[in-house]
Amino acid sequence: MDRTSILSNEAGFLHTISNPRNNPILDQLDTQGSNFFNQPQSNNTSAASQSTDSVEASDAKWASKLLTECATAMSCKDSTKIHHLLWMLNELASPYGDCDQKLASYFLQALFCKATDSGHRCHRTLISVAEKSHTFDSIRKLILKFQEVSPWTTFGHVASNGAILEALEGESKIHIVDISNTLCTQWPTFLEALATRTDETPSLKLTIVITTSASIVKSVMKEIAPRMEKFARLMGVPFEFKVLSGLNRLGDLTKEGLGVQEDEALAMNCIGALRKVHVEERMDVIKMIQTLRPRVVTIVEEEADFSTNKNDFVKCFEECLRFYTAYFDMLEECFPTTSSEKLMLERECSRTIVRVLACDDESHDHGGDNERRERGVQWAERLRGSGFTSVGYSDDVIDDIKALLKRYRAGWSYVLPTGSVGDASIYLSWKEEPVIWTSVWKP
Amino acid sequence: MAMLMDLDFTNFGYSATTATTTTTATTTASASTDDGCNWNAWSPVVDWEALSSGQEDFHNLVDSMMDESDLLHNLNVRPNTDEECHDLYSPERYATVTDDESNSMEDFKGMRLIHLLMAAAEALEGRSKCRELARVILVRLRELVSPKEGTNMERLAAYFTDALQGLLDGVTTGGVHGKCRSHHHYKAEHHPADVLAAFQLLQDVSPYVKFGHFTANQAILDAVTHDKRVHIVDYDIMEGIQWASLMQALVSRKDGPPTPHLRITALSRGGGGRRSFSTVQGTGRRLTAFAASIGQPFSFHQCRLDPDETFKPSNLKLVRGEALVINCMLHLPHFSHRAPNSIASFMAGAKTLCPRLITLVEEEMGPTEDEGFVGRFMDTLHHYSAMYDSLEAGFPTQGRARALVERVLLAPRISESLDRIYHGRGEDEGCSWGQRLAADGFCPINISFANHCQANLLIGLYNDGYRVEELGINKLVLGWKTRSLLSVSIWSSKDNDL
Repeated sequence: MDRTSILSNEAGFLHTISNPRNNPILDQLDTQGSNFFNQPQSNNTSAASQSTDSVEASDAKWASKLLTECATAMSCKDSTKIHHLLWMLNELASPYGDCDQKLASYFLQALFCKATDSGHRCHRTLISVAEKSHTFDSIRKLILKFQEVSPWTTFGHVASNGAILEALEGESKIHIVDISNTLCTQWPTFLEALATRTDETPSLKLTIVITTSASIVKSVMKEIAPRMEKFARLMGVPFEFKVLSGLNRLGDLTKEGLGVQEDEALAMNCIGALRKVHVEERMDVIKMIQTLRPRVVTIVEEEADFSTNKNDFVKCFEECLRFYTAYFDMLEECFPTTSSEKLMLERECSRTIVRVLACDDESHDHGGDNERRERGVQWAERLRGSGFTSVGYSDDVIDDIKALLKRYRAGWSYVLPTGSVGDASIYLSWKEEPVIWTSVWKP
Repeated sequence: MAMLMDLDFTNFGYSATTATTTTTATTTASASTDDGCNWNAWSPVVDWEALSSGQEDFHNLVDSMMDESDLLHNLNVRPNTDEECHDLYSPERYATVTDDESNSMEDFKGMRLIHLLMAAAEALEGRSKCRELARVILVRLRELVSPKEGTNMERLAAYFTDALQGLLDGVTTGGVHGKCRSHHHYKAEHHPADVLAAFQLLQDVSPYVKFGHFTANQAILDAVTHDKRVHIVDYDIMEGIQWASLMQALVSRKDGPPTPHLRITALSRGGGGRRSFSTVQGTGRRLTAFAASIGQPFSFHQCRLDPDETFKPSNLKLVRGEALVINCMLHLPHFSHRAPNSIASFMAGAKTLCPRLITLVEEEMGPTEDEGFVGRFMDTLHHYSAMYDSLEAGFPTQGRARALVERVLLAPRISESLDRIYHGRGEDEGCSWGQRLAADGFCPINISFANHCQANLLIGLYNDGYRVEELGINKLVLGWKTRSLLSVSIWSSKDNDL
């Protein structure tokens, strides 16, 4: 099976069906070749234009210095210092400046909300602003662009698809329950893979579980459904598509609720989903997955810990800053300098940052908008505690990963953790720092 | 080119007993200067056409990087009211720097600039030193200010920003160069005509220059009443204006002894590129001609300083029986601020000569012996903001003229001041030259009542924000509102009681 050509169409699905190539930025990118993904070895060696890694500068970066000082002052309730630092950050920050200025701007917002106890209000405002400014098209463009310039999301897709395909080889009826934040961008490739298998094409039932209360997601799903069905028809894959929403607690899912039949081979795909669950309910959700007895569970999460330190503001702040510094740095280098998509992604972060730093979890029901990430090893411990065992990735999948990363600019690498607990997972790293954790489990 | 002749000294003449003055320059308290005023009455050498361009337009410097979030728009900057806060760091102390207008937006912006400057100074050398942060703050400041436009505070902040940038750049290139490290680029920058024009303006609209000259001259007159020969050694003669008025006073002494012979030795520096319009020789020629025209017996000499500006008393030509006066003008617009070694050697040499009198005029800085860089920085900011305010009171509607004075005379001075306090000179820091003279064993000499009165009359011709204060018996201080600007102190060597 030649996965590389399949991958070349990964981005093709959504925008071949609706209006293709109206985006001038996409067109610019296109000048290097007719199809981005067909380029050989695109930007691997062209790191010259970028300045030296700012992390290596002998001077501490001013934004992280000021922000950390402010967070410390807040936990000590040193109002003079807080006032002074907030003021200074306000002077120097800008969401349109360089990375330091952006980080200063978004983290300042969170600090300010924390100081004025207005985190929830701010978060709600940010959500409603985002909802008003997004449409199906704009979200689609955003995701596509992001996937073009960065493997941040595609990494998890490739690993998970590979694992599911291998685990369900030979099955004729496949049911995938997808609890993810990727708006189905993962599945076209999967459908293609199913279609090109040498044996008889299995049928695929795809049940999407929506946990967020954001109305934009529901309307996006409405747009996606017919497109997915059409694509499956094109691929010649018998296909059923269902969306489950309005769920109060993820832990309440049942086989019946999901419509899982006895003769189906069930796979659970959780990308960026577990972190949205309230910390106290996480074990319940994992137990729930156990009870569904899927053949395989694929989990992808961002590698950061905002959970164990949720009662220690400074530690949580520092971890948040560390993670988003890497993220913003990645965005800065992967996107062109003036990119509205980059700006939108940064703004998405601002919501998370406010949510994590300035909102307390208990008092409000955010309808599945918790953002307290945990590191891979933490999730692994939970899963093992529930009886799951980890499944290694095959060499084929590793090859796919390698091929995927080659398509992006320098700076990306993957890491297979060695030894410790024998957890088979893969990390995606940006400049030597692990940022995404993917893993495969079976009950 | 006898420009000295063009300047009308008779109007500033005085005698030892009475002080009667009239003036052609109309810089009294009335703030609004009429556009139809006879500009040439001020100073014929200044090109007023270029400077007076009708109404000043005050930009609103719009903050181009406002955050979209409404929440942050409401983040007000209020002065620090925490009692534990060190007074020096409290912006209220600088309330005088803001305009008298009740425009709260301007006050707000002024406070903001002060905060930013202080933060930059702190980042450069304060408790939490961080070069990156200093650099970023200076970038931000540059967006907000311009040396040509805006309020006093904005223009002042622009020059301070430049000066801080110079320090930052000097640091990052790892330079500890010679005395004049970052200022060589100023030497060539100013057109000599600009320098002269700025000097004239400064003279005309503020008592700054005349206060020093007249008080020193009066003290000299008081000290040499019966001498037949007077020898003045002048550290930095520039155009020699001070001596023109002294000579006038000497020849117009009524009922007094005959006019003494006046000898002036001017120190000259070997290095070229003096920012003064005139050369020492040129000044000498003009003074000689002037003296001849009023009948003052006069001779002029030069004394060269070594290349490193050390003063060798042996290079002076002394005559037995003459009253020796050492004249040391260190204030604006004299540029000797940058060469403390030179001044120190001059004073050391002076001591060996046992002069009858030493007249010293210097800038007054706040008492900052124990302050670090940031404290001294804020003091310097306060000092120059008072100067800016005083100049504005002098010619309130002529922003461009003020901008010229600021650019040519004040800005280099600001850079030099900051350079000096940043690179510090150990225990000498914070010590004024007057204090050093006292420490070296010179005797303070009383400033006469008449001298004091004259000073008061002089500043009465200008804006009533100026004040004269007596400090000790031998020192007069010129101040603007609550801030002291410069001081004149009179000394004598111990063996030479008057």
